[in-house]
Amino acid sequence: MAPTVENEWKKGSAELLILSLLENQPRHGYDIAGLIETRSRGTLHFHVASLYPLLYRLEKRGWILGRWIEKPDQRRRRYYRLTTTGQRVLAVQRRKWQEFAGAVSRVAGVENA
Amino acid sequence: MPEWKQEIAKRLAGANLRAEREAEIIEELSNHLQDRYDQLQSEGTAHEEACREVLAELDFTDLRSEVRDTESTASQNFVPAGAAPTGQWFSDFLQDLRYAARMLRKSPGFTAVATLTLALGIGANTAVFTIINTLLLNPLPVDKISELVAISTTQAKMTAQSGEFRLMSLPNIKDLREKTHSFTSLAAHSNPTAITMTDTAEPRRIFVEVVTANYFDTLGIHPFKGRFFVPSEDTTPGAAAVAVLGYAAWQGRFGGAPDILGRTIKLNSTPFTIIGIGSKGFKGVYAVFGPDVWVPSMMADQILPAQQRNAPSDRAMTLFTGIGRLRPGSTLAQARTELSIVATALEKEFPDANQGQAVALRPLTEAAYGPERQPLLFGSTLLMAIVGLVLLMSCSNVANLLLSRASVRRQEIAVRIALGAGRIRLIRQFLTESVLLGLLGGVLGILLGYGGCQFLWSFRPAEFAQNLADLRINVNVFGFAFAVSILTGLLFGILPALRTSRTSVSEVLKEETRAAGRSRNRVSLANTLLAGQVAVSLVLLVVAALVLRSIHREYTIDPGFDTNHLALFMLYPGQAGYNQTRTEQFYKQARERISSVPGISSLSWASNLPLWGRKETGVVIEGQEQRKKSDAISAVVNTVDLTYFSTLGISFVEGRDFTQDDRDISAPMAIINDTMAAKYWPNQDALGKRLRLPRGKDFLQVVGVVKTANYQSLGEAPQSSIYIPLRQNYSDAMILYVRTERDPSTTLAAVQSEIRALDPGLAVEDIRTGAKVIDQALWGAKIGVGLLGVFGLLALGLASVGLYGIMTYSVGQRRREIGVRMALGASEGSVSLLVLRQGMTVVLSGVALGVGLAVLLGRALSHFLYGVTGSDLLSLTAASLILLAAAFLACYLPARNASRVDPLVALREA
Repeated sequence: MAPTVENEWKKGSAELLILSLLENQPRHGYDIAGLIETRSRGTLHFHVASLYPLLYRLEKRGWILGRWIEKPDQRRRRYYRLTTTGQRVLAVQRRKWQEFAGAVSRVAGVENA
Repeated sequence: MPEWKQEIAKRLAGANLRAEREAEIIEELSNHLQDRYDQLQSEGTAHEEACREVLAELDFTDLRSEVRDTESTASQNFVPAGAAPTGQWFSDFLQDLRYAARMLRKSPGFTAVATLTLALGIGANTAVFTIINTLLLNPLPVDKISELVAISTTQAKMTAQSGEFRLMSLPNIKDLREKTHSFTSLAAHSNPTAITMTDTAEPRRIFVEVVTANYFDTLGIHPFKGRFFVPSEDTTPGAAAVAVLGYAAWQGRFGGAPDILGRTIKLNSTPFTIIGIGSKGFKGVYAVFGPDVWVPSMMADQILPAQQRNAPSDRAMTLFTGIGRLRPGSTLAQARTELSIVATALEKEFPDANQGQAVALRPLTEAAYGPERQPLLFGSTLLMAIVGLVLLMSCSNVANLLLSRASVRRQEIAVRIALGAGRIRLIRQFLTESVLLGLLGGVLGILLGYGGCQFLWSFRPAEFAQNLADLRINVNVFGFAFAVSILTGLLFGILPALRTSRTSVSEVLKEETRAAGRSRNRVSLANTLLAGQVAVSLVLLVVAALVLRSIHREYTIDPGFDTNHLALFMLYPGQAGYNQTRTEQFYKQARERISSVPGISSLSWASNLPLWGRKETGVVIEGQEQRKKSDAISAVVNTVDLTYFSTLGISFVEGRDFTQDDRDISAPMAIINDTMAAKYWPNQDALGKRLRLPRGKDFLQVVGVVKTANYQSLGEAPQSSIYIPLRQNYSDAMILYVRTERDPSTTLAAVQSEIRALDPGLAVEDIRTGAKVIDQALWGAKIGVGLLGVFGLLALGLASVGLYGIMTYSVGQRRREIGVRMALGASEGSVSLLVLRQGMTVVLSGVALGVGLAVLLGRALSHFLYGVTGSDLLSLTAASLILLAAAFLACYLPARNASRVDPLVALREA
């Protein structure tokens, strides 16, 4: 995979995206991947090979926590939820992203909507 | 459909994952791939196309290296910069705290043992401090206690008795109030006096204080409910029958009835209206024992016994203590000078009542304990010292635990140093850990201490529970426990922290340094701590044993009267409104009826309770009237009825008992004890000699001499005593003494019902057996020995656990050496002996030190012991044996383990 500008941006924001999606409810990996794709209207797509290692990394850091959950007539799935540390991290990352995006917009002359 | 799991497994091969983790990842990923595949199929994508697209997800990056990298990093609490509050120091502290909490969580066994050990030490300290806080530091809930002084009388000349503070008469206090300017206000109060209260229910005995109207204002106390006395209620004798009820009495005796104000209660058959409830927690200015109710001083005649009539106007009736509030700016010394000038004037004006008397001024805090102040101070200091030692032992145990643990954590510490942690930073980290432990111990300790206090206080004699001081758990106690916890944490943490932070990186990381040098050093420090612990616990055990022996001896003291098969009943016919004729008739009738109760062998009346006798000073002996004032004769005076001496089992030395014929009209007479006879009529026959009581008019002729008994306390030095016949000396408050043939408790009810049959309005609440009298006299001492015993055993337990811990550790350290010895042919016995010898050497040196200390301390204590010397051999031997047995067990278990070391295993480990 070529290190394109877009890929680098995606890497930088991946943690924020995942944490944000887990903010209100626990989700499994497929759910997360699907939501990123639909909500970004197809602009962002996470492959299995990068999504799951990222989830594991976040879990190692204690920001999210995964648990196997069984529901009737379904395969058991691993659901991830945000830990308290994760909530704090999310707040910080959000603020920083806004500062960053704002700064970029102002410099690059992109109009704010 | 492709086998997703196989595909994933293929790509993960070589990532070196744990089998379970790998299975988990495969399952999770295959779920995802299956979902994706199902979706594509439902959208109509062909099978091959779908498989290709799904597998492309897996191959987007190198799954194996991504997963391997992620899984191989240690889990960590990764907090990005900016998430923690600002401030380097504070964030460091938070980090230390989190780290410390994690370390403690990681070894729950260590945390539990350390917390419990500390909790025992801190709990013991909290319990003792709570008692001291209640009794000594914070005795009275009054306003600005430092401005308040107690005013009493004392002998003018310096004599053996000049230290005694005596009560004053109300007229004298009132004169002091009018003629001095040092006080903003000056009030007077009597001692708590037992009276009979009758309301709707049965008559009950309660305690009253007669006070001037300004008493509560002087103290700066506000009523909980209603109001206090106004001046007009304290001007005309007998006019205003109003009473203020104590808060505890309102709660305890009236169930906290909301409609209490305006209610009428009968006190000694006079109806009083309740006008107010005292403030919560206020039980009079005598900190140890307080009244249930207060009445104005002008009601004294309605409340006090017949012998104390005319208290408001009689200058010889000394029943009161003055309470003054110093005017701002005037000092205790100024007030003293002014008072003594006025007192000299009063002495000249009223020589009959005031001659030889001076006025004594003391801060109220000092006066609040009365004669109990000295023993209370001594006891508190001793207890505080003891629990301080127990706390030190807890600290030393936990320090030892930390040292043992430090060797386990060497690796961790070395890594941290290698990564650049400074020594100060490490010490800070360790201290955070130990202070956190201290605080954990503190929280548990407060609970233990509170429980302990409640337990201790539950031993209060139930009949006075409402009148005794309440324990106050307040901010002081919490502050104390908090400070002790922090200090404890620093104390036991500092030594291990200093030592551990000196860890040498290269030595540890080379990891071949199980060399003995360092650990032997460590063991010798631990041994010193241990020897100290052994010494301290031995000292505590010896002190406990000494006090126990002393109490045991006190129980065998012959009080001079026979306590077996004896019962007594307090009766106050005067308080039921009886006049003299009716009272005398009652004594006679009760005597007749009760002596016919089966099982009763004899009975009599007397005015004094056993061991509660009051001394009177100023006895005059005929022919010796010109004695110096400073040499005034004191004696315990007891009014007794016929057959008192035979009922109590007091034998006659010479002369005779009072008889039916000794009546009002016959010549006044007395019986004295042999101590008095020998002291004032040495080498003469005391029979036929005459003496006069302090407030008596006539001389009394001595008709008999009896053996000396104990009158005020058990085992006291012999004192003079004078018995006068009831038939010549009327009293309306007497105690019925009954001697029974069998266990007195079986006849108590029968006697009680006989008295009820005579008059259901008489209170017969306070009934005791002779054995209980002795029990009550030794109540304080028994609590003392209980505490000492508990603390002694606590210390022993701590020392044993410490010993066991350090021996186990040392055996662990020497496993290799022991293995070698055994491989070379050492027997199990000799290995056990080796370890035992090591442990018992420490113990024996501790015991030697402890015996020395105990003998020194015993010498200081001997003043407070009865019948036991401070260096009592039995106590020393018993305590040493108990300690040696416990220590032996603590060493034997690790020694046995050492002998079971398998040489092969031990050597392979090395």
